[in-house]
Amino acid sequence: MLALSLVAVATAVQLLLWAAPGDPIDLLPNGEELREQLSVEWGLDQPIAVRVLSYLAQASTGNLGISLAYRPGMPVIDVLLQPALTSLGLLSGAVVLSLAWGTALAVWTRGQRRQSRRLVRVLSVAPVFLLAHIGVHGINELTFSLIEAGNIARPAWFALPAEASLVRSTLAIVLLAVGSGSLAEIHQEVEQALLTIRRSGFVDAARSRGEPTTLLIARHLLIPVASLAAARTGFLLGGLVILEKVLLINGAGAILWQAALLRDVPVALGITLFSAATVCLARLAADAVRIGLDPRLRGGSR
Amino acid sequence: MTLRALTIASLLAATAVAAPLRYAEDRAPPIVNPLFTTTMSEARLAELVFEGLYTDDAQLSSIGRLATSLELAEDRMSAIVHLKPGVTWHDGETFDSADVLFTVRALKNEKTASTDRGRVAFIKQVTAIDDHTVQFTFEREEYAPEDKLHFKLLPEHVFAGTAVKRTDTFRTKPIGTGPYTVDHFNDDNSISLLQYDNYHDATRLGAITMREVADKNYQSKLLLYESLEALVRVMPRDLATLQADRKIELYPYQTNSWWYVGFQQARPPFDDARVREALTAMVDVESLLAPIGTGEVVTGPFVTSSPYYNHKVERRTLNESKSSQLLEAAGYSRSGEYWTKGGEPLTLRLTAQESLETSQDVVIALQSQLESQGVKVEPTFVGAAEWKSKVWNDRDFDAVLSQWSFDRSEDITEQFHSGGKLNFGSYRNADVDTLLEEARDTSDPQRKKSLLRDAHAAIAADAPMIFLWTLDSYSAVSRRVDNVVIHPFYYFTWSREWELR
Repeated sequence: MLALSLVAVATAVQLLLWAAPGDPIDLLPNGEELREQLSVEWGLDQPIAVRVLSYLAQASTGNLGISLAYRPGMPVIDVLLQPALTSLGLLSGAVVLSLAWGTALAVWTRGQRRQSRRLVRVLSVAPVFLLAHIGVHGINELTFSLIEAGNIARPAWFALPAEASLVRSTLAIVLLAVGSGSLAEIHQEVEQALLTIRRSGFVDAARSRGEPTTLLIARHLLIPVASLAAARTGFLLGGLVILEKVLLINGAGAILWQAALLRDVPVALGITLFSAATVCLARLAADAVRIGLDPRLRGGSR
Repeated sequence: MTLRALTIASLLAATAVAAPLRYAEDRAPPIVNPLFTTTMSEARLAELVFEGLYTDDAQLSSIGRLATSLELAEDRMSAIVHLKPGVTWHDGETFDSADVLFTVRALKNEKTASTDRGRVAFIKQVTAIDDHTVQFTFEREEYAPEDKLHFKLLPEHVFAGTAVKRTDTFRTKPIGTGPYTVDHFNDDNSISLLQYDNYHDATRLGAITMREVADKNYQSKLLLYESLEALVRVMPRDLATLQADRKIELYPYQTNSWWYVGFQQARPPFDDARVREALTAMVDVESLLAPIGTGEVVTGPFVTSSPYYNHKVERRTLNESKSSQLLEAAGYSRSGEYWTKGGEPLTLRLTAQESLETSQDVVIALQSQLESQGVKVEPTFVGAAEWKSKVWNDRDFDAVLSQWSFDRSEDITEQFHSGGKLNFGSYRNADVDTLLEEARDTSDPQRKKSLLRDAHAAIAADAPMIFLWTLDSYSAVSRRVDNVVIHPFYYFTWSREWELR
C-alpha cells in the first residue's frame, strides 16, 4: 500500500512538474547554447512517459537521482537528509503539541464554556504564515526596544528568524500547532470524541460499578486521537512549506519551494516522496494504535 | 592539567577568530565557480575568493592584481604579461603560468560550456614563456587588452582536464588566490569565508559570512537589528528608515543597468513603429519612477554616465495629441473606452518578472496611464523559469517590463543586433547591426564611442522599447565598518580595505 501510494505520488507530481512551463536549462544564462548537451545529460530529451518510468525504476532501487539546479551534481539523498530531519522534528513537535493542547482544551471545555471555545477559534483562525510574520516582528521589536533601552543584554537568538536557535524552532512548532485552524479543529474533534466516550455504555457500566473511569476514557480517546494525528500530518506538512520559508528554516519545505522555482525536478520529487512516505507512515502508526487498543480489530474476520 | 591547558588553548583560539562581516543575499549561490557564474550573488562571492590578472582601481581603470606588468606588441596583436611572484592558491600550491593557460583553455573548451566564454573570445592563443610570464595572441588588434583580462583564474592542478563541469566537486570546495577562502557551506544556506593567511596582499576583514535572506524586508530589519553588517542594495522604500539610523551609513553607487518596456515587434500591432511610438508618447516616465525611487531617465540603451550615451537624443515626453495622430495614422479610431481597429481594442499584454523589485508598482502605474488614454493593458507576473520559457523561448508577449544589467564592456549587441541571442523583442535594423558589429570589432576606444552613440540614436528613433530609467543604487553598511568603497558591479572588489571595528 505504501509502495503504491509512493508510485502514484511520484507519477502525479512528475507529470505536474514536467507540464509546468520552463525547465532547469531555461534558468541558465547560456541555456539555449547548452540545451542539446544538457538535455541528453539530464534525460530531458526523452518523452515524459519515459522520464516518469525511468525515475520510478531508479527510485525503486533507492536512487533518487542528482540535483540539477538547487545543488548541482549532489545526490538528492544528501541534499535532503538534514533538511528532512529538521522538518520531521518540527512536524512531530507540532503534531504532539497540537494534540496535547487540543486534548487539554477539550477536557477543560467538555461542551461547556463557550467563551473559551471562541477564543481558541480566534487564535487558530489566522494562517500560519501571517502568525509567523506577526510573531517574528512582535518578538523582534519588543526585544530590540529592550536592548536599546539597556534593559537586557542582546540574546544569542536575536534577531529572529536569522539566527538558528531553540526560540526559532519553538516558535515554528507553536505556530504550526496553532495556526491555520489546527488547534480549533483538533479541539473540536477531541471534544466530540470525549463526549461520545463519556456517554457510552461501557463508561456508564464502569461508573455504576464504582470503578475509576479516567484511564478507561483516556484509553478509548487514544484511538480517535491517533487517527486525528495521522490526518493532521499531511495538513501540517503543507503549512510547513510556508513556515520554513518565512522563518528561514532550511527544512524540506523551504527546499521544495526553491526546487520548484529552479525546476529542479529530482529534488522536488525527492521531497514529495518524503512527504508522502511521512503521511503514509503516520496512517500506519494510527492503524497500529487502533489495532493495539481495540480487541475487536485483532480478532480477525468473523 | 593537560586537558585544562587544551581547553584554555582552544578557548583562546576560538576568541582569536574575528567576528565576521555578515551580508545578505536573496539566494545563496549553489556553486562557487567563476566559470559558471549565473547570478550577481555568485559574482560577488567570486570576487572575494578568486582573482584575475587585472582588476579595477577606484577610478575603474585596470590595475594589475595577479599581473605585475603588460607589454603590448607594436602591432597590437599580442601581449606579454608578467605574473606576480609569490602568489599561492588556497591549498598552498604556487600560482604560475600553467594556471593562466588552463583557465583560458577551460573557458574556450566547448565542453565546459562556461557562461563566461565570451570573455576570452578575443584571445587567439596563450602560451607560457616561463613560470611567471605568459604571452597572449589576439584575434585582432587590441588597444587596452588589460581591460579584458579581468576574468577570474582557476588552479590547473585541481582539475583533470580543461572540460570543467558545473557539477565538479570544485563547486563547493573552491580554491582561488583571493583574500578569502570558503570555510564552510552551512546548513542554513549561509557561506562562511575566512581570511586567507598566506594572501599576497593586505586585507583587513578576518571573516565574511554570506547569509541567505530571501525576504528583502527582513534584510533591512536585520541590518537595523545589527544582525547584518552590509546590505548590498537597499529597497527604495527602506531608504528613509536606514538613512535615519545612526548606526548605518548609506553608500550610493552607480550600476550599469536600466529599465525598459520592450515590445514584441515580430507581430501586429507592435511591428508597426507608429503604434510603438504612440504608446511611448502616452507614458509619463518621471511619474512612473517617482514612487519607486530616484534615478535618471534614459533615452536609449546606455546609462547616462556611460561614454556611449548619446546626450543629443531628446527625451520623449507625454504627448497625447501626438499619440492620437500616430494611432489614427496606424488605422485606429477611438469612439469608446479604447482605441480600436477592426473592432478589436488596442491591447497590451504586459509581462513582468515577479522577482524584479517594485515591478508591481510600475506595472500598475503604467496600466493606469495607458488605460486612461485608451489602451487596454493585461499584466502578468511570472517566475524566473516561466519568464525564460514564455519570453525568451516562446516570445509569447506584447511587451515586457524588465531591466538589463551590463558589466564594464556595456556590449548591447546581443540585445539589439538582429541576430542577437537576447533580442527577444525581434528588433531589426540593418544600420544598427552594422554599427554594433563595427563597435564590437574595433579596438579604438574613440571610434567605439562614436559608433555606439550613433547606435543609441538609431535605436531610440525606432522605439523598440520605452526606455525608462537607471535607478540610483544604495548599499547600507554598519558604521562599525570603516573604509567602505563599493564597486558598482562586483561590490566587493575593494573590500580588502574594509575594516570591521
